[in-house]
Amino acid sequence: MNRRKFLKYAGLASGSLAMAGVSAGSFMAGRSKDSYTGWGRTPYGKDQFFNRTPFLVEKPTYQIVGKPERITYVENIFRRNSEFFRLLMNRHPDGITWDKSQGIEGLPEPLKTYYTNHPSAFEEFFRMREKAREQRTNWPKYKDKYHLADAWSTAHSSFLGGPALFPAEPSGPPEEADFKGVNPNPLPLKSPEHGSKLIKKIAHSFGATLVGIARIKKEWVYQGSLRGVGRVDFEVPEHWKNAVVFAVPHEWESFYANPVYGTSYDAYSMLRFISGKLEVFIKEIGYSARSHVPPGQYDLIMPPLGIDAGLGELGRNGILITPELGGNTRLAAISTDMPLIADKPIDAGINKFCKKCKICADECPSGSISFDDAPKHVIRGFKRWKIDQDKCYTAWNSFATSHAKGCRICLAVCPYSRKNNWIHTLAREVDPRDPTGVTSKAMLEMQKNFFDYPGANEYLPPPDGNNKTFGKPPDWLLTEEWFDV
Amino acid sequence: MFEYSMIQPLFWMAIGLLTAVFFLGLRYWFQDLKIRMYWWKWLVVAIWLILLAVTLGGAFTLIGENEPKAGVRFLLFFGIIILLIGGGIWKIVARK
Repeated sequence: MNRRKFLKYAGLASGSLAMAGVSAGSFMAGRSKDSYTGWGRTPYGKDQFFNRTPFLVEKPTYQIVGKPERITYVENIFRRNSEFFRLLMNRHPDGITWDKSQGIEGLPEPLKTYYTNHPSAFEEFFRMREKAREQRTNWPKYKDKYHLADAWSTAHSSFLGGPALFPAEPSGPPEEADFKGVNPNPLPLKSPEHGSKLIKKIAHSFGATLVGIARIKKEWVYQGSLRGVGRVDFEVPEHWKNAVVFAVPHEWESFYANPVYGTSYDAYSMLRFISGKLEVFIKEIGYSARSHVPPGQYDLIMPPLGIDAGLGELGRNGILITPELGGNTRLAAISTDMPLIADKPIDAGINKFCKKCKICADECPSGSISFDDAPKHVIRGFKRWKIDQDKCYTAWNSFATSHAKGCRICLAVCPYSRKNNWIHTLAREVDPRDPTGVTSKAMLEMQKNFFDYPGANEYLPPPDGNNKTFGKPPDWLLTEEWFDV
Repeated sequence: MFEYSMIQPLFWMAIGLLTAVFFLGLRYWFQDLKIRMYWWKWLVVAIWLILLAVTLGGAFTLIGENEPKAGVRFLLFFGIIILLIGGGIWKIVARK
């Protein structure tokens, strides 16, 4: 074949290939869920774009080193503090009164045992109160500057109280409350596999970005307090078999502008709507259901359930880190007796990366995150990094916000909390497949040397810091863009 | 992973066309410079161009993400490395 002839045939082949490419590209343009507008990807589960199959493992990446124990409700800072506040305001359910001069010894149970074992937490409670008082006095200095951020956060949290709470809080024992409204004539489910697939599709359609299913282990169930019943020790109800665990992220730009422009309530409100609707759906098809939702309406602890459900791994900062959303992963769950197939956990190298990274510990304004190279504290039978939740909560009370609205700096600075574009996708996909660890080392060096971080104290108000944010706030939260201030 | 909007396939078609024209022109440049090109030389040139594209793409993606300093640092760090590699590659390719 001479050159001319070759070029003629090559031209024909190239033209055909180009046309095939145009046809394939156009077909994808027509078919792809990415082309859906607004939140159109979410109902089809297309936000859950990381392929977990190569990283499925038999054992979750948390380390069991003893006999796993259930978490008592006072180990949760919010429930412990609300109990303490009730006591200080003379609203203890048993009419017990207490003042600081009585010390830890004079506290009623279970606060007495908790603070005897954690005396620094007792001191931190009063430091937090002092900071909250100080911040309330300082708020008039900041309220104009952060007027829009405060209004936005308040809008998201507006339905979190009052009689219209959705989903409604359970009333009565779980054996009654979880079955209220359950369809008495359900259709027979084809199989648990069908159940899992269906429930995931439905959860996505209600707005869940990530969905997974886990068996409920008793160590993931709070002890000492049961919603709908009160302060009691209880056995895990028989019908709490499976948990449908789901997650949504925060709004992107405000999330980057934490702590003062971000809010937890945007994700919390979405989770509550998803959970409330999913609870009703599960009951409508004939199974028991109970929502476990933020900010505090939980009988189950979320991060380990998220690990068991294969959504992600536990980070140094004590939260679930997922391949898709990184630390920007807010969780809720439904406990149910619906027959479902549990997902497998994953090991995508996130936990290993946390051992080297420490950016969240460096940037934490309260110094609550451990710098230990590897987890060394044994907490309820699990080896993990320790979080000083009391110091964390003191920082919440120190920021230039109208009241303690959280922080989320450790979520925002996490190198996994990055956009879904080609450069971060490349890192996300290559790193867990690189057995040498060179990729994660290179990524971490780039993260630490190319990106700027304000520094832990800078997030605090003066005189300790300068009200810095991690990222630039969106213009729609800048009060000065829209109002004369 | 990618957004398949109307513009995207057209954009990549245009990039493909420009790349093809670029390589045709490069061929004539090498001929005029009396450089004999072998398949492996073309391969080395193509890999270098891909690395250059990734460096530029990476830097501008970061700039687009509101991380201008990270983008510039990325560009300076990898840009210098890519240019140094480019110099080395040119020495190999330019051998007659």
